[in-house]
Amino acid sequence: MNSAVEKQIRILGHKDFKSDYKPVWCAGCGDFGVLNALTKAMAALELEPENVAMIAGIGCSSRIPAYTTVYGFHGVHGRALPLAAGLAVSRPELTVIATGGDGDGFSIGGNHFLHACRRNVNMTYLVMDNSVYGMTKGQASPTTECDWTGSKLSPQGTHQPPLQPLELALAARAPFIARAFSNSPNELARIMTEAIEFEGFAFVQILSPCITFRPEQLGWKKRVHEGFEPTDDRAAAFAALSDDDGFTTGILYRAPRPAFRPDQRDRVDIETIEKHFEVRS
Amino acid sequence: MPSDSLSLALIGSGGAGVMTAGQTLLDAAATSGYYGLMTRATGPQIRGGEAAAILRLSTRPVECQDDRLDLLVALDWNKAERFADELILDDDSLVIADPGQGEIPDWIHDSGARLEEVPFDALTKEVRGARANSIAVGLVGELIGLEATNVEATVQRILQNKGAKLIDAALASLKLGQVAAGDLSVPARLAAEPEQDEPRWLITGNEAAGLGAVRGGVRFCAAYPITPSTEIQEWLAAHLPEFGGCLVQAEDELASINMCLGASFGGTPAMTATSGPGFSLMVEALGLATQAEIPVVVVDVMRGGPSTGIPTRSEQADLDIAVHGAHGDAPRLVLAPNSIGDCVTTTQWAVHLAEALQTPAVVLSDQRLGQARAAIAPPPSCDWKAQRKLAKADLNDYRRFADAEDGVSPMALPGTAGGEYTATGLSHMESARPSASGMDHKRQLDKRRRKFEQFDFGQNWADIDGDGEVVVLTWGSTTQPAREAVARMRALGQEIRLVSIRLLSPLKVDALDEALTACQRLLIVEQSHGGQFHRYLRSHIELPASTHLLASPGPLNIGPGDIVAAIEKLTHEEAA
Amino acid sequence: MSPSKDLGSFLAHAVVLEDEAATRYRELADAMAVHNNPDVEALFCKMAEYSDMHRAEAIEHAEQHAGGLPDLKPWEFEWPGDESPESGRLESTHYLMTPFHALQLALEAEEGAFAFYNEIATRTNDPPIRKLAEEFAAEEKQHVEALKKWIAQYPEPPENWDDDLDPPVPVD
Repeated sequence: MNSAVEKQIRILGHKDFKSDYKPVWCAGCGDFGVLNALTKAMAALELEPENVAMIAGIGCSSRIPAYTTVYGFHGVHGRALPLAAGLAVSRPELTVIATGGDGDGFSIGGNHFLHACRRNVNMTYLVMDNSVYGMTKGQASPTTECDWTGSKLSPQGTHQPPLQPLELALAARAPFIARAFSNSPNELARIMTEAIEFEGFAFVQILSPCITFRPEQLGWKKRVHEGFEPTDDRAAAFAALSDDDGFTTGILYRAPRPAFRPDQRDRVDIETIEKHFEVRS
Repeated sequence: MPSDSLSLALIGSGGAGVMTAGQTLLDAAATSGYYGLMTRATGPQIRGGEAAAILRLSTRPVECQDDRLDLLVALDWNKAERFADELILDDDSLVIADPGQGEIPDWIHDSGARLEEVPFDALTKEVRGARANSIAVGLVGELIGLEATNVEATVQRILQNKGAKLIDAALASLKLGQVAAGDLSVPARLAAEPEQDEPRWLITGNEAAGLGAVRGGVRFCAAYPITPSTEIQEWLAAHLPEFGGCLVQAEDELASINMCLGASFGGTPAMTATSGPGFSLMVEALGLATQAEIPVVVVDVMRGGPSTGIPTRSEQADLDIAVHGAHGDAPRLVLAPNSIGDCVTTTQWAVHLAEALQTPAVVLSDQRLGQARAAIAPPPSCDWKAQRKLAKADLNDYRRFADAEDGVSPMALPGTAGGEYTATGLSHMESARPSASGMDHKRQLDKRRRKFEQFDFGQNWADIDGDGEVVVLTWGSTTQPAREAVARMRALGQEIRLVSIRLLSPLKVDALDEALTACQRLLIVEQSHGGQFHRYLRSHIELPASTHLLASPGPLNIGPGDIVAAIEKLTHEEAA
Repeated sequence: MSPSKDLGSFLAHAVVLEDEAATRYRELADAMAVHNNPDVEALFCKMAEYSDMHRAEAIEHAEQHAGGLPDLKPWEFEWPGDESPESGRLESTHYLMTPFHALQLALEAEEGAFAFYNEIATRTNDPPIRKLAEEFAAEEKQHVEALKKWIAQYPEPPENWDDDLDPPVPVD
């Protein structure tokens, strides 16, 4: 089907970004919405699949690269951000999108998250947050509520307050911070598009329900509400977060600053360098 | 009496400048055409600690310290006993000390060395701005026979950005030292300068590893500072941008190696440098690099371990983790330079091999090579370059991990239309699609093993020298004292064969067997407590019945005398 | 650009509504294939084919429209809810769902599409839009009726249909 209409409506091209692999996700998983939104965002931006790289760690959501037709790297647990940074710094012409879940990004990869916010390499980081470890059968993650008793590892709850990813990102100086909901894929696609186009490190927390281990999250649909108004004022962003119930969506903070740029120097050939080691009488 | 090799040390504390003095002497000697080596020993303080600059200058190439010192110059005696194990003096040694710096320690007295006094501190009062370390340079240069004009030119070069006043004061200090030398006699002076048909290079092993990486084509480095590898990182930070590359300082070693993998996935040859504790953190990503077939080079500048160990001193005890440190069956390249100059060549070779085989390579340097500064002949230039087998554009039915005959399948880089695939740490099919099938798993394990079996590594896997029935077998930095020990034995008329293995993994078993042909007695030399190298060899080949092990942990380096003694011992045992 | 005010926009909505419906049914069919639920997989595949047909019809209409279609971004479509109304709701799926549930999901989707066109037909002041919206609403109404009959052939499953006899397994 290659009609005039197909050309006029760009989002019809989103299927070009979907691979023929059937996701291993459970039916009803929010990550389907994220995949849907992501392919729409890439189609809307008219990206070429070969010039996009999706970098992921380990976990349900980290399987997403293979479900797209772009280049992908499904690395080890928690290390998506440094993989992505290495690629983005050395191949700045590529569109680099790191993805993963809350365990991957905020627990085992937590340190990388902080420094990725600071370092501000030009890339996008999409975290599909369902407050649970899915691939190991449902343990508490850093964003799990302290009184959740659904896991055999913490049968009386975690006794720890959940981590606040947006506050953390803001404190660590990420220049673009947003939250979205997997089951509103069009709005999610809008935020993704802005994040991808942003020159610098753009972080999007995506609330993405786990139907298997947190079926109560199906109720998120009723709880999410738009509310963040993009600001470049940190104090205003912190104030917005102090009123946040965890379900406010939108772009919280957008404050462009120069993206990470490696040192530049005049080119020199190897012989000149080697001369520095030489001594003669 | 002229000697073809002189050993000396300068000690002092509290910012006395003995390291600068040592480097000045080494550089001046190199300018005159001598070879030489300077190693350092320091206390644990960041500033103001006790320090020793240990030098060896020679008319022939030397890359290890001698077993004893001809000359020790002490600017003071603060905590000097720390160095008693290392600064070996005897009846033939001369010690020069400042009488104003208190009691001469017992270990100096007990050594039997001759003592002389030079009032360094008092002399500094004679010229405004004079410094004791420069006086010591002038004194030592004069005593051992370095050409004064070369010493002066070296001081001027080192201080060129410090202003005329400082340079004048330093030159005046040299003069004070030269004059003070007038009354003294030394046990030995350097023999006449060697005929020089090529320049000398002044370089540390760490700089050499950085240079080798750039020569090989490395254009990306991410690293986390760690002693004693940081100088590689610093060198690359300064020079990679000159080749269009860059260094990123990462938040930890987990990040640094993963950044390298990200860059390499994108087609940019990448390297990181670290030491044991950092290497331990990188092991996980090395397994990923094996599974996902991403080339990367890790230079591990070994230090004493385990754990934090002895950060500033050498050990060869990371062999086990370098070869075997991974879960699963994950063969990888492990190489070891055996001299400071070889840090250039072996690192360059490692880059070439990693790229050619699409697999990680570990270069095992150590503190002894990395932080020593040497005056050497320029390392040979060689052609090894990063040349990766790539998939070309507009591919149909591209399979990233196609079961290639030589085990190396063409890699598609982002930007190549039709080559889109997802690299993965999961076991996978030829298409890169994850698979838990035993058949796919074995096919890819076989494929990855085949790379190592089918690649022609050439003659460079080891340095083999001589053909005696007694063989000294070693690797890495202990090759240098072994070389010297073998030379000493030959001078006494005993032919000894030396085999130094550069390519530790994959071990070239057949070639090693051949190298040990007709070996009657074998001495294995390694700087590790557990005999890791010995155990590793035993796991691969049948060693001769008469095999002996000289294995000792750091921080004291195995010296040529230790190896000579071990050779003599096994020769005598055989005779008895 | 509102679908009730601009014919091009209306037609773009119509095409994308069916396109997304087909895409979603295929996603659901894939998920059922992964979970070894072939009956429901087959059903979703069939629904996807229907949506393909309707998509082709919508494209035919759109191609006859001389004014061309606007290039709307995904979020510029004016849908009544979070996504296009004929997309089966993700949250209504379950790996053990029966054909009864699948048809319920489809029914909900078709009712959404009917409501969407019906609303435009009621609200629009543009006669050509009203004509098409009425036509499409009538078609969706037929789908709704057909689905209701279809559902009647399936008994309502027992209350414990979603009992996990094989609890989830660890994967990574």
